[in-house]
Amino acid sequence: MTEPFLQIRGLRKDYGIVTAVSDVNITVERGEFMTFLGPSGSGKSTTLYILAGFENPTAGDILLNGESLISTPSHKRNIGMVFQRYTLFPHLSVGENIAFPLKVRRWGKAAIDAKVKQMLGLVRLEGFEDRKPAQMSGGQQQRVALARALAYDPPVLLMDEPLSALDKKLREEIQHEIRRIHQETEVTILYVTHDQEEALRLSDRIAVFSKGVIDQIGTGPELYANPSNRFVASFIGDSDFVTCKIISMRDGRAALSIGSGPVIHGVPVHGKNVEGGMAALMLRPERLSLSRAAVGEGAFGLSAKVTDITFLGSNIHVAALAPSGETLSVRLPFGHEAAAGLSRGDTIFLGFDPESAHVFCG
Amino acid sequence: MLLNFERLGAWKWILLVITGLTAAFLILPILFIAALSFGSSQWLIFPPPSWTLQWYTAFFADPRWLEAAWTSFRIAVMVTVLSVLIGLVASFGLVRGRFIGKEALRALFLTPMILPVVVLAVALYAFFLRIGLNGTTTGFVIAHLVVALPFSILSITNALEGFEKSIEDAAVLCGAHPLEAKIRVTLPAISHGLFSAAIFSFLTSWDEVVLAIFMASPTLQTLPVKIWTTLRQDLTPVIAAASTLLVIVTIALMLLAALVRKGLKS
Ligand SMILES: Nc1ncnc2c1ncn2[C@@H]1O[C@H](COP(=O)(O)OP(=O)(O)OP(=O)(O)O)[C@@H](O)[C@H]1O
Ligand SMILES: [Mg+2]
Repeated sequence: MTEPFLQIRGLRKDYGIVTAVSDVNITVERGEFMTFLGPSGSGKSTTLYILAGFENPTAGDILLNGESLISTPSHKRNIGMVFQRYTLFPHLSVGENIAFPLKVRRWGKAAIDAKVKQMLGLVRLEGFEDRKPAQMSGGQQQRVALARALAYDPPVLLMDEPLSALDKKLREEIQHEIRRIHQETEVTILYVTHDQEEALRLSDRIAVFSKGVIDQIGTGPELYANPSNRFVASFIGDSDFVTCKIISMRDGRAALSIGSGPVIHGVPVHGKNVEGGMAALMLRPERLSLSRAAVGEGAFGLSAKVTDITFLGSNIHVAALAPSGETLSVRLPFGHEAAAGLSRGDTIFLGFDPESAHVFCG
Repeated sequence: MLLNFERLGAWKWILLVITGLTAAFLILPILFIAALSFGSSQWLIFPPPSWTLQWYTAFFADPRWLEAAWTSFRIAVMVTVLSVLIGLVASFGLVRGRFIGKEALRALFLTPMILPVVVLAVALYAFFLRIGLNGTTTGFVIAHLVVALPFSILSITNALEGFEKSIEDAAVLCGAHPLEAKIRVTLPAISHGLFSAAIFSFLTSWDEVVLAIFMASPTLQTLPVKIWTTLRQDLTPVIAAASTLLVIVTIALMLLAALVRKGLKS
């Protein structure tokens, strides 16, 4: 059996009494784009900094091609990194910045010149060699930083929220660049962000961080369709939560009821057994169906009152208040018949495919 | 802005006059001394009856004056080098270190700036008497280093705090040994702070007189001490010439500092 490319095993980092991350286990394939997604303070950067060697883990190990990296100092790890802040060397030109890691490695002048040229081409900044960092825009600086980090062909590239200082349009533009560069270079990338859209757009797989632990690892569609807990469900994509009563639980499926509505069978369930107790039912706004009359008993278990209707181009967004006081949102494609003539204050009935919903207990 | 200079009306002129008077108050004594140093009167009569360079000729012809100037320069250079080196290392500790009492230590490093110099001088004199450093170059350098170091630490910690640490981290990850990263990336980036530290350290030592009087011996005198002792013996215009030269070096260095700061910024 071949060794996995990069393994993070049982990683833990304590700062005094604060545990920044614990029990982090990730296996990354060669060439994979893996994103750490999570809210502020969830331990994404800490994990990345341990990989870079700027912090020592309290426990755990990191294996690259089966060999531990922990005792190797940062400057010998041969890892590339792009930081959140602009980190070009201010007194050096763009070309000298990209040449820096190569000079440190004692490459010959001709080889350096050729590589600098190649890297500038890769990030589409030909002709910028002689500019100083201060004469470049934020987006250009991050592209040079990317070129510098890739110049020595590192096996792994770390990126810690490299686009967070840029505005939305520029961010999307550089996301495309990063995707293209990933495909062209086939470098393995570990990327940190708190922006779910960015994570979904870029990644092969996403590790969702919350409070210093990884809640779930999977591809974007996997996380969206099968979130393992309420946090992941609410962090990836939009979601509605409704309190429901669990009637029975068996084989990962639950029967439940909402308010005084009928029993709904076969909803995927996560968490500990709370038969007879209350739990949170998660629904996706675009998977809800909307009807004006209470037809099809069972499928339409939920009545609600329309509180707002918003037109969003290709979508129409309907906000509705459930009898329990919870606000639900429904997304309908533009021109959908159910939306025709709908107005505020109308009573609607919402239905969903039990397979598309999830119940989170405890 | 709360106070717009252009819209002050008559106040604008009053402010200009006050500014002019303050500047005159600060600069006139220096101009006065400079004028006297070129005056022909043995008795420092003002305005001078005629102009001459004879006092400068006398200054450069007298090996004792030259010796004093050379001593001043020598000591100031040594103080500058040591002050910048020690200030650099101390600043890294104060800015990057994580230890208890960091703020207290930083305050302690700055105390020589507020302590009366004469107190420091007496203390150092008494201490150096025991270890035999009075009247030696080493004693001079140490004494001036004590008062120069706060300027170094202040300007270097300032520069280092304004320097993004990730830039150094990036250099390390590029493969540079942490020390190499500091030398090749961090130092050039904080060079304006190092330069200010050097200039201020040099000037602190160059025109310092109180500590110097305590440290001096008949054979080891800096220029300010020589001016002081000569003044007590007889009033000769050579003193005015020496003072003017002292001031010229100071002003030249200040101008250089301003120019370099401008150059480094752009
Ligand atoms: N040097 C440190 N000393 C003490 N606590 C720290 C230190 N660095 C990080 N922490 C703590 O560790 C936790 C994780 O921090 P980390 O920087 O990894 O979060 P993050 O997920 O990158 O968040 P962000 O999105 O804000 O960058 C936080 O609670 C933080 O306060
Ligand atoms: Mg972070």
